[in-house]
Amino acid sequence: MVVLITGALIAIIPLVWMFLGSFKSPTELAQRPPTFLPESWALTNYTEALGRFNFVQYLTNSVLVTVGATVLTLAINSMAAYALAKYNFRGRTALFLITLATIMIPLQVILIPVYQVVASLGLVNTLWGMIIPAAATPTGVFLLRQYMLTIPDELIEAARVDGSGEFRTFWQIILPLSAPALAVVAIFSIMWRWSDFLWPLVVAQSEAVYTLPVALARFNAELTVPFNLILAMGVVSTIPVLILFLIFQKQIATGIANTGIK
Amino acid sequence: MTASQTRTASPRRKTWASGAWKTKLAPYLFLLPNMAIFATFTIYPAINGFNMSLYSSSNGRTFKWEGLGNYQKILTDQEFWGVARNTVIYTVSFVVLATVFALLIATLVNAQGRGKTFFRAVFFVPVLVSPVAVGLIWNWILERQNGLLNTALGGIGLGPVPWLVNPAWAMVAIIMVGVWMQTGFYMLILLAGLQSIDPVLFEAAKMDGASAWRQFRSITLPMLSPSMAVVVILATIHGFQSFDFIWTLTGGGPVGATTLMVQYIYENGFESPIRYGIATAGGVLLFIAVFILTMINWAVSRRQEAV
Repeated sequence: MVVLITGALIAIIPLVWMFLGSFKSPTELAQRPPTFLPESWALTNYTEALGRFNFVQYLTNSVLVTVGATVLTLAINSMAAYALAKYNFRGRTALFLITLATIMIPLQVILIPVYQVVASLGLVNTLWGMIIPAAATPTGVFLLRQYMLTIPDELIEAARVDGSGEFRTFWQIILPLSAPALAVVAIFSIMWRWSDFLWPLVVAQSEAVYTLPVALARFNAELTVPFNLILAMGVVSTIPVLILFLIFQKQIATGIANTGIK
Repeated sequence: MTASQTRTASPRRKTWASGAWKTKLAPYLFLLPNMAIFATFTIYPAINGFNMSLYSSSNGRTFKWEGLGNYQKILTDQEFWGVARNTVIYTVSFVVLATVFALLIATLVNAQGRGKTFFRAVFFVPVLVSPVAVGLIWNWILERQNGLLNTALGGIGLGPVPWLVNPAWAMVAIIMVGVWMQTGFYMLILLAGLQSIDPVLFEAAKMDGASAWRQFRSITLPMLSPSMAVVVILATIHGFQSFDFIWTLTGGGPVGATTLMVQYIYENGFESPIRYGIATAGGVLLFIAVFILTMINWAVSRRQEAV
């Protein structure tokens, strides 16, 4: 029990420290020894950060990239998963294996060649350039396919007998039934896209398309930006995923247990 | 599975002869968007990466044939060997420590009654924080003069430790922070593994008078080995890919002591002097390293299961 509580404190203190620090003034931050609680809980750092940078712009970019990538991922992954789970066609096994094999090729090892493709499509310095390349996640296809395999074929046959078109069957019957798996894929997509750094760093070359993590890293590198503002930005960039986690804790736990996706 | 589906497929085709072509075409159309993005942004670049690693370029537009020259350059480059050494030291320490801590925490959390969900959440929270922010916070906490950690250590008469100033300590720092940030993720996988072990086994062991340690060694560990294999494989891949939190924590310094492979690729590819050939060849080498290690991990865990 003692070990567990010590561990829990180690896990949580750095974050509490960031949160407390985000309310402190520069002089208070420089104080020796450091103060624990801030002198006042005024939101000065937050309002100042808001006024000093295009903070709202970065936040909007982050939201657009996260939401856009997640919607796109759900759409194309679920369609691919449906084809792989419920149709018999030439090349199915091969396509499924290729999909799985690409789990072994993370973006980091093909950074330059992917950048070349994105550049030749004119997507550098655009939000689309951050949204599209990572959308076709192999883990999402895998997870959704496994789930769709459990949906009885009879439902699809019955819909065909009723004269439902292939896409309508997918849209009106398969998708609603796959809601739990879609939720897991969506939550993970939001979590990872929101904190993505390397790829946005490469694509976002002008300030107008910075996402929050890129802005954070860039401003931190410029020593002229006071650290109290950086801390405020750090807190804002952390809170959305924290809330998401607290709401969907159960789904996240089972999702990780089932696939180990990241 | 394939056999039964083939059987249901043929009568369907006869019954719905009029719409048969639609049923035949549909799966390809469903797959098209995903596969198109896949092909464009993963498969083609992966193949082209090998090709690009045989050329050199300083601007990404004009390329010069080098053959295996880039590899020769890298493999005789002292900086590369420094980076490779850092990456191996980091990854090995990270995998070992993160797995051990994840196992320890998962076992302890699993033994909790009502507090299980609470502790699970607390240990997972660091995973959620964006790695860039993690680097920033720890850079501040590890500050030599006034940082939280050195202040705390000073309180018990230790330090001050030159965390980010001394090359060896900086390596300790990135390992420490990496483990702090990721352990919760592996803990969740192991916790799920622990929960799937049949409690009857433990009851039987208790009746036979087995000690807690004996139960852990003879029941928990063997039953957990599939989850452990997943954790070790994932941690190895994650370790080799580490970049973002290190970027804001140490920036790869001091004097390159914490520069890992991904940063080496990024800097050669995007910071002047740009050396595209070196960067892509570095990517290929990283891929080969991760691939071989994953295969070894698989083989070892397979053999263990067989025994």
